[in-house]
Parts: sequence; C-alpha cells; structure tokens
Amino acid sequence: MLSAIRNTLRVPVTSVARLFQTSVPQASDKFDHKRIPQDDEGVQGEKIVDLDSVIKTKQNLFPTLESDNLLFDGTLYKDLPICNIRVTHNNTIFTMTDAGGTVKAIRSCGMEGFKNTKKGTNIAAQTTAIALATKVLDRGVKTVRVRVKGLGPGRLAAIKGLQMGGLQIVSITDNTHVSWNPPRARKARRL
Amino acid sequence: MFLTLRLLSNRHPSFIARTVFVKNNNVDDASRLVNRILGKEGILEQYRLTRYYEKPYQTRRRVNHERCKAIYNEDMERKIQFVLRKNRHDPFPGCS
Repeated sequence: MLSAIRNTLRVPVTSVARLFQTSVPQASDKFDHKRIPQDDEGVQGEKIVDLDSVIKTKQNLFPTLESDNLLFDGTLYKDLPICNIRVTHNNTIFTMTDAGGTVKAIRSCGMEGFKNTKKGTNIAAQTTAIALATKVLDRGVKTVRVRVKGLGPGRLAAIKGLQMGGLQIVSITDNTHVSWNPPRARKARRL
Repeated sequence: MFLTLRLLSNRHPSFIARTVFVKNNNVDDASRLVNRILGKEGILEQYRLTRYYEKPYQTRRRVNHERCKAIYNEDMERKIQFVLRKNRHDPFPGCS
C-alpha cells in the first residue's frame, strides 16, 4: 500500500525534474517587440561599423581645439552656414541658418507636396533635401555643416539628398536631445 | 580658451560633441560612424526608451531579461571560444 503511494508520488517528481532546464534561459518572445528598432530609422550602421578600425585608419575625423579655425572653401569652420534637420517619424524639416543662427530658408516634406504618411518617408526627405539644396545654391551657399536632430526614416536620406543637390557637406553633427532623468513620458502606445 | 568657455557654458556644445567630419565627400560613411558612436554610447537606446512611459513592472522585466541575456551570451561566447581554440593538445579529438 505504502509503496504504491510512493510510486504514484515518484512519477510526477521525476517528470518535473526532466522538464526543469538549467542550461539555456528561455527568452520570452512577447517581451521586446517594441524595443527592436523599426526597419528604417536612419540609423544604419548602428551595430555594424567597427569603430576601432575606423578610428585607427583615418585621422582628423573628429573636431579638435583647432577645428573651429579650419578653412573650408575659404570660410572658417565656425562661420559656415548650418543646415538643421529635424527628423521625426512623421515628417522631416530642414532649416538653413547662417553661423549665428538666423534662419535663411525653411523647407519641409509637407511643404514639398507630400501629405499625411508620405511625409515621413525617406523618399520625401530626399526630394525635399534636393529642393532645398538647389534653392540655397542659388543664393550662393555651397558649403554647409549639417546638424541632425531626432530619429526617423529621413535621417540618412536627408543628408544624402543635400549632397545629391550639390551642397558640400563638411561635417555631420547629431543634436538629438536625450535626457537620463526625463519628465514622465506620454503613456505607452497600445498596439 | 574659447573652447573651454564653450564647454563650460554648455555641456553638449554643438559641432564639438557628436560631430564627425566628412572625408572625401563620403557622407554615408560619416553618418554611419555618427550612428555607430551614438549606438555604442547608449544614446539611441535611451532616446527610444524615453519616447513612451515605461511602467515599473516593464522596467523590472526588461532589466531582468537583459541580465539573463548577458549571462547567456557570456557563457555561449566562452563555449564557442573553447570549441574554436587553435592550439589543442590533441589536434583532432575523437579521430584517433
């Protein structure tokens, strides 16, 4: 009688022991579907480029004490006009300013004729960039430094477009505002 | 002189921080390098995390998951290095 009870007890214990795995922690599939970056956020190369080799091979990639006084196309680096690009998921806005920050020209994907979701595409960003570049070239601006803010599909395409439009890009700066103790963000999206 | 002033007045002075010069008109490489640096510094990650509020239970779950992943990756890396090691005592184990 007792041994029969023991046997019935034993069976589930052993089966449980077999189910219990110690080797591989199982990552739940549900977890990080929102954390994975979307297909195109303009951050190509975020995880690919080998930083060490790049830094070893090329010199003068990063600004130094003297870089403010470097000459580009006959102008000091600090006096070059700035092309500010604000990239979001829904739009891309270009603002040409001079070195002091006075606005010379504004162009956005919406102004260029793209409406609704089409505003937030990389094609829209590129065409807008080309349009802005031609407009600015007419006014005699040839060499610019670029300052990008935000993530979105237009991030890489915008910079490419400026170059395709004929502007000489001296440097690329990221100015995305990131805080490590931000105010409470808006509530999470429910998908 | 001016640089120190700029650094003192602003912790993230533009065109000094997060800046890459374009070499040989190669805009693609430069922007990739910027992205790589931002990714490696965790700036993009923080940016993405703070778009929407993350509830405390979500933070806990995320952190725990990251820990598990780190431990697993470390172990797996060691295993792979062990299997791929070059100077074995017996060059073809199990084939003699």
